[in-house]
Formats: sequence, structure tokens, C-alpha cells
Amino acid sequence: MKVLDRKLVRELRTSGGLLLAITSIMAVGVACYVALGFAYRNLTIAKRNYYSDCRMADFAIEVKKVPLAELAPLAQLPGVTEIRPRVRFLATVDLERAPEPLNGIVLSLPDRRVPVINDIVLRRGGYFSDTRDNEVIVNDAFARRQGLHPGQWVHLLLNNRRQELFVVGTAVSSEFTYLVGPGAITPDPEHLGVFYLKQSFAEDVFNFSGATNEVLGRLAAGVRPDDVLRRAELLLAPYGVFSTVPLSDQPSNRFLSNEIQGLEAFGVINPAIFLSVAALVLNVLMSRLAEQQRVIVGTLKALGYLDRQVFAHFLKFGLCVGLLSGVLGIALGYWISGMMTALYRMFFEFPLLATRFYPDTAVKGLAISLVCSLIGSVHGARAVLRLSPAEAMRPKPPARGGAIWLERIRGFWRRLSFGWRMTLRNVFRHRFRTIAGMFAAAMGAALMTNALMLVAATQYMIDFQFQRIQRSDVDLGFKEERGRGALDEARRLPGVDYAEPVLDVPCTFVNGPHTRKSGITGLSPNSRLTTPRDAAGRRLRISTAGLTLTRKLATILHLRRGDLVEVQPIKGQREPRTARVVEIADSFMGLAAYADIEFLSSLVHEELAITGVQLAVAPTRMARGQLNRELKRLPALQSVTARGDTVANLMNTLVKNQRVFIGLLVMFAGVIFFGSVLNSSLVGLAERQREVATLRALGYTQWQVGGLFLRESLLINSAGTLLGLPLGYLLNVGITIAYDTEMFRIPVVDPTWICLWTIVVGTLFALLAQAIVQSAIGTMDWLEALKTKE
Amino acid sequence: MEHVDKTFQMGDVAVHALADVSLEIREAELMVMVGPSGSGKSTVLNLVGGLDRPTAGNLWFRDQDLGKLSPRELTFYRRDTVGFVFQFYNLVPNLTARENVLVSTEISRDPLDVDEALALVGLTDRADHFPAQLSGGEQQRVAIARALAKNPALLLCDEPTGALDFTTGKLVLRLLVDVQKRLGKTVLIITHNGAIAGIADRVVRLRSGEVVETTVNPSPLAPEEIVW
Repeated sequence: MKVLDRKLVRELRTSGGLLLAITSIMAVGVACYVALGFAYRNLTIAKRNYYSDCRMADFAIEVKKVPLAELAPLAQLPGVTEIRPRVRFLATVDLERAPEPLNGIVLSLPDRRVPVINDIVLRRGGYFSDTRDNEVIVNDAFARRQGLHPGQWVHLLLNNRRQELFVVGTAVSSEFTYLVGPGAITPDPEHLGVFYLKQSFAEDVFNFSGATNEVLGRLAAGVRPDDVLRRAELLLAPYGVFSTVPLSDQPSNRFLSNEIQGLEAFGVINPAIFLSVAALVLNVLMSRLAEQQRVIVGTLKALGYLDRQVFAHFLKFGLCVGLLSGVLGIALGYWISGMMTALYRMFFEFPLLATRFYPDTAVKGLAISLVCSLIGSVHGARAVLRLSPAEAMRPKPPARGGAIWLERIRGFWRRLSFGWRMTLRNVFRHRFRTIAGMFAAAMGAALMTNALMLVAATQYMIDFQFQRIQRSDVDLGFKEERGRGALDEARRLPGVDYAEPVLDVPCTFVNGPHTRKSGITGLSPNSRLTTPRDAAGRRLRISTAGLTLTRKLATILHLRRGDLVEVQPIKGQREPRTARVVEIADSFMGLAAYADIEFLSSLVHEELAITGVQLAVAPTRMARGQLNRELKRLPALQSVTARGDTVANLMNTLVKNQRVFIGLLVMFAGVIFFGSVLNSSLVGLAERQREVATLRALGYTQWQVGGLFLRESLLINSAGTLLGLPLGYLLNVGITIAYDTEMFRIPVVDPTWICLWTIVVGTLFALLAQAIVQSAIGTMDWLEALKTKE
Repeated sequence: MEHVDKTFQMGDVAVHALADVSLEIREAELMVMVGPSGSGKSTVLNLVGGLDRPTAGNLWFRDQDLGKLSPRELTFYRRDTVGFVFQFYNLVPNLTARENVLVSTEISRDPLDVDEALALVGLTDRADHFPAQLSGGEQQRVAIARALAKNPALLLCDEPTGALDFTTGKLVLRLLVDVQKRLGKTVLIITHNGAIAGIADRVVRLRSGEVVETTVNPSPLAPEEIVW
């Protein structure tokens, strides 16, 4: 090893705290890049393989009922390569081990195994046999949660009849990678299953022989689905089209794609923040290192070393930091990507979602780290080039000691203690270092504020949606419209304290060129169990004179309060009607519209129709048990949703996982605070050894001296944090805009408490770093420092 | 040096460090340059050592005009021709004595063996010590070994005893004299300490950037004989 490299290795070995500060920030940046990049590729590869294995549909059209013979023109639409009709229904499931009735999506599959669109991948057991008609394949997640195995029997309420089905296998399918029930945002495999029936059996049970209610299709490469779907809708219009869904809007695909896009975006933003901070901090360190080794630089030049050689020697220091950080970052990133991928397995059901190591991404991470460390070192190392050897060996002229501008404010300056004056002068004289420190603190604060705001937003969203808007304990959905009698029946159910009717009318909203398929929920005017609210959380009365639209739906349709909108019901007589928008409500999930149930019934020409009932149930275990037993026996039910289960599921999955991610992010932000304060303080300490020694000689205690450094750190850190708070807020607003989808929106919460928290946590990390600085002051040989020539 | 001027620009003021200096250093002689601080002796050393270039005049090393060399050529001149010994040794603190010598041999064309260089200065058994573990005199001997190891034609010493006590200072001078005598090196010592002039073959006195006197010393004293 060259002797200068030996010098380098020893310098690296002895620069402990400084190396820790800088490598931790840089390693976290690389780790973010690697973790998000790996997780991105894990998901992307799993998705691509899965979609191709299952022949994922490019579109799905839901109709009331269409004869198979009428599908031929659809199959011949330009761009359509293949279509597949299937039967699809919702059903309730009765499992002996589950006290409550569960929900199921029932789908048909060919009796004999042939490759089809939206195919399944078998996990356990096998495909249908010729032994029985009533065989069923259950989605694997539900089967696992409910302890179902091939060879067991399950009971489903299919078309008002309790059917006994024999489980032949369990399977997964790409269309349910992220399986969410209607209106939900997290999978609930314990309460929602998918049941594949033989095509012949399904047609028989649902009276659909020679007909279908869902058409799946695939498109030729490069064909845009919008046009095809528009034409398909016209073709199928006589049969009542409920929805036309391109792959991009398919719920499972949408959640998965959102997640992948998020990984891609954060895979750039987060590392950029950390690495820019790291480059700045490294810059401060390298400038100091070059300054400290002024005489050595001069001597090396006098001995005949070329500028290039000396420059390279200093760059190598930075490169070593980059290399070390890169390697640490890759290891940490790989570990985090494994953790993330494990968490994804809780949400996404893939046949194979493996954690892999991607050498090219790792190499890129390392390269980024090296480039960033080079950028950070070049400035400092270049300083050694500017010096002529003779000049470098002369002692450095004393630092310019001029007054800073604050001193011109006489009254203020005179009132400051000596310590504060020293602190302020240092802060203003080392402008670059101050700016670097403030930038780091600002980034740390921004990351932390944003992270904490996201946590609070999720909590707020859940509260708003499930405590304030939806307040029922159990929601029942009927298979078809019923009369008032169904409400009375529900009121008589055991354990029910109170019940309200609901009418869901799927419809198309039309406002000039803007149209949207959605639905209207009819509620009684004094509804207590569903209470739409405005942005301020105030309850909105259900008007008898028109529609209450949620803001997102109103925005899509370009509607304001007072505007008229055309409503085309998809069920019943399907006669277009015009209604007035009387209120705009706020909601964070879905695209709801509300109307008075009687008004809505009249819109669809019925006296009083209900499609569901909301129940308030006595809060005792016995009441719930009685109710569940009774519900299991009701034939007309299509779905049963307990709000408690939904909230518990959200808390268990979304919130719990979010805490893990946010915890990591807060730790990472802490690394920035810690690393930056530690670096600038240690650099300051190294530079001001003489000053520290003099103060100690004058009788200052080690704590008093430490206090001077602490003051400086806290001043810079606090100023940076204060700047970072609005940045974090803006970042959060940006994320809420980016994630403003039809499925859910993230609210921007009141940041007051979060800002206070950020300040407290930021200060704590800064104090932690100061503790190391304090101990360095304690162990410093100040007598020696007094003697050394500078 | 032929009519060499050196002017430093310090802000708006031009400082004349050397004015019309002409002098000759002969091969294998030991020259001592004496003068108070500010007399320009360090400037002469820097010019001769290729650390700096004259503002006017010619500066020859053998048949090379140093004033006309590019910075890169000057670096190679320093690398191949000059050995420096500094007042404060300028050792790299985290390298051992041997490694400090390696710093100069690694870039030299025709270096001495490192251990040979250390043996020359009598530090064979201290070779693996770090500068902080060595006395001032020992550190200066490492610095001399570092300068000698390159096998330079010129050995330039800037106040080599300035940071040393009397006894140690004389040991270092003895070493320099031996080097000059035994290895036939040209040695230039600059100092404000007039007593050292006694060991020189020739003495140049500088004041305010001008040569005020050049004397030939027919019988130089041994370093042990001088007193300050």
C-alpha cells in the first residue's frame, strides 16, 4: 500500500465520530434508494409474472344480464382480441367456526381446466372434477384464515338458497392481488372470500343459463381501452351496464400500481434528500480536513508531489466515505426491502413475492453514494490546490475578525452575554457551515413533519369515515330491492336497537360532457347511522329536494351547489331524471352521493325501495351473538359488514404497517439531525481547539465550554427546523394531491402538535449528538492544544 | 541567482522581498545564509527550492532557468533535485518515522534505501515510532532522513535548529555537516542565528532583501565548537 494510502486509512480509523456522522446520513440515503428500488422491483416482477400467468383482463364490463349470443359484436370490436363471459355474484358465507356471516364473491370458471382470462393459480388441492356439480375453489387467503382445506364443506347463500359446496382446492388470482370489498381500502381476508364455481353449476344456481353478467376482455397491444369500452357500452346498453372498468381502474390493480408508483417516486425523493444533506455535511468536513492539513499539503508539494496526487489523496478520503456508506447502505437497504416485501405479503396475495438482491440496483446505489461523496469532497479538496507550497507551510493568517451586521444593532448587541456574542459571530462567520447545518435540520424536520402528518391523517381519515360518517354497527345488503317490510323485519332482529333503511341505486351521472358511473345512496332525512359531513365536520342534513354529492364526485363532474345533474339509473326502468345538487359533502373514501330515500325511490319510480339496512346493535356480546346467528339464517342477504371489524382490520393492517414505515422514517430524520449536528460541532471543536484550551486555562469548566458549542448547535438546528416545518407541510400537501384518487383521499391535518413534536424530537437528536461533543471536550488534552503552533 | 527581484502583492501594497540579489551556490559546499526575520532569506530558500518563482532576474540550477519552468516542471525539479528540512519538521503525524521517509522515496527516481536513510541519521531503532513518540531532535532527524532519502543534489534547511535546544541543535548540525562532507551534497542553511555561520564554507548575510556581505570561511568550525 502506498504510504499516503496508509495515512488515509489511519485518518479514517481515527476520525470516528465524524465518520459516523457522515456515513450514517449517506448510508441511510443509499439504504432508501436500495430498499425502495428493490421493493419496487420485487413487486414489479411479481406483478408482471402474475398478470401474465393469469392472463389478466384489460377490461371488465358488468351488466345486469345479457344473453351469450349477444356478445358476438363485442368480441368483434376492433382492438378486442378475446372476451370471456362469466357469472359474478355476491353472497354470504356461513362457516361453522365463524360466529358471524361472512362475505363472498362468487365467480364462475370453466368446468374443465382451460386457460382463461383472469385465470387462477392453484395453491392446494386441485381443479374441479367430474364427481360433483357443487365443487368450489376458495381463494387461498380466506381459506388460510378460516382454516378451510380441500375436502371440507362450506355453505353459501346463493340466490336465496343455502348451498352446500365441496372444497376441491384453494387458489389465487391476479385480479385479487389486493382483495378489497366494496368501499373498503384494506384487504380483509378473514371476512371476505372468493368462491369459484363450475360454470354449469353457477348458471344453474343463478338462473343464468345461456347468459352472463360480467364480460372480461383482452386488448391487442397498444389499444387504448376507453374507446373500446365506450363502444361496448353502447352495444350492451339494452342489457343495463353497471360498470365498464379498464384495467387501470380495476381496484386490485389500482392499489398495486399506486404502491409501485409510490415506491418509484419515493425512491427518488427520499434518497435525494439524504444524499444532498450528506454531500453538504461532507463538504464541511472535507474543507476542515484540507484546512487542518495545510502544512502537510505544503510539505508534500515541497517534496515534489504533484497537485493531482495531493488532490487525489484528499478525494480518496471522500471516496472511502462513499464506499463505506454505499456498502452499509446496500446491506441496510436489502434488509429493509426484505422487511417491506414481508409487509407487502400481508396486503398483496401473490403466488410468489420474493425478496431478491438486484446487483445492478445495488451498483447504482453504490455509484450514487460515490458520486455524492465526490461532489461533497471536491470543493474541500480543491482548496488544497489553490495553495502554493510556500504559502501552505506558513501559518494561516488569523481569521477575519470583523464585526457582523448584528453588531450594528447596538442596543441588542450590548445586552448579549460574551457567550452569545461568540456564538452569533461564529454562526455568521462560518456562513457555509451554518447554511449546511440549517439545510440538514430543515430536511430532517420536513421528513419528520410529513411522516407524522401522514400518520395523523390516516387516523383522522379512519375516524372521520368510520366514527363520524358511518356510525352503524352492522350493515346488511340485500340481493335485490325490497319493500318497507324488510326494514320492519330488520328492526325485529334480536339485539337490534335501531335500524335505518338504505337504497343504493347504481347510476350514471351526466353533466354535459362530464359523465361518471357511480351510485346514489338513499337515506332517511334524519339518518343517524350515515351522516354526511362538510369539511369542517358539520353534519349535513339529507335534503328532500336534491342530491348531496361528495366533493370528489362533484369535482369530477364539474358540479357546484345549485347545479342540475342528469341521473341515469342503471336498474329498474332506467329513465333519465334531472336532480339538483343541494349540498357538497366531504369524504375520504369512494365517490358517494346521497339523497332522501323517498326522493330517490321516486326517481326510480318506486314507492319505497330498500337495498340494505343499517343497524345499531346493543353493545353486548350476547346481543351480537344472537344477531349473528339470526343473520346466518337470512336467505335474502348479499352482504353483512360490521363496522367494528372494518376498523379493527384497518388498525391491524394499514395503521400497524404505517407505524413501522413511519418509525423508520422518523429514525432516518433523526439520523440527519444527529449526524449534521455531530459533524458541525466536531469540526468546530477541531478548529477551535486553541480557543477551547484558552477558555479552559482561564477557568471555564468543561460544561461551560460545551455550552458554547451547544448554543451554536441549537441555534442552527432550531432555525433549520423552523424552516423545515413549512417544507414538511408543503411536502404533505404534495403527497395528498398525488394520492388524491377516486378510491381514497388523504386529508391534510392540523400540523400544530406535529410541529411541536418535530421540534422536540429534532432537539433530542441534536442533544444526543451534543453528548458526544461534550465528551470530546472532556477528553481533550487542552494543555497540549495550548502549546501547539497553529 | 542573477539580479533576482521578488515582490509580493499584499492587497494594495507591493512588498519587495528581494531586490537585485545575485549570488552563487557552489556544488558540494555548505552555505549558511544569515539575516534577521524579514531579510528575505526564506524567500531565497523558496526560490532556490522551486517553491516560488522570481518576479525578475534569472535563477539557474546548473543549466536550467528555474524562472522559466512550468508549475509541473518545478514540481519535478523539487522531486528530483531538492531535499527540504523545515524548522517545525513538518512530519505527517499519523505516519511512523519509516513511513514519513517513504513519503519522499515513493516519488523519487533514484532514492536511497529507507533503512539506510534512517541509519544515516541514527534512527534505525526508532523507525516504527510515530512523530508524537519522538523528541524534537529525533523528529528533525527523521525530516533530514526524509530529505536525504530522495538522494537530492540540494539540501535546503529552513532554521533546522530553530525549534531545538542547544545540545540537540548541535547534533542536527553535525548530521548536516556529515552529509555534506560524506555524501558531497550541496547544503544551504538559512538561520537568524549568527553562530551557526561558523560551520559554513561560505556565509551570506542578508538585510532588507539585499545581500550585504558574502564571506568565505577558510577553516570552518566543527558544529561542536560553536556556541550560542
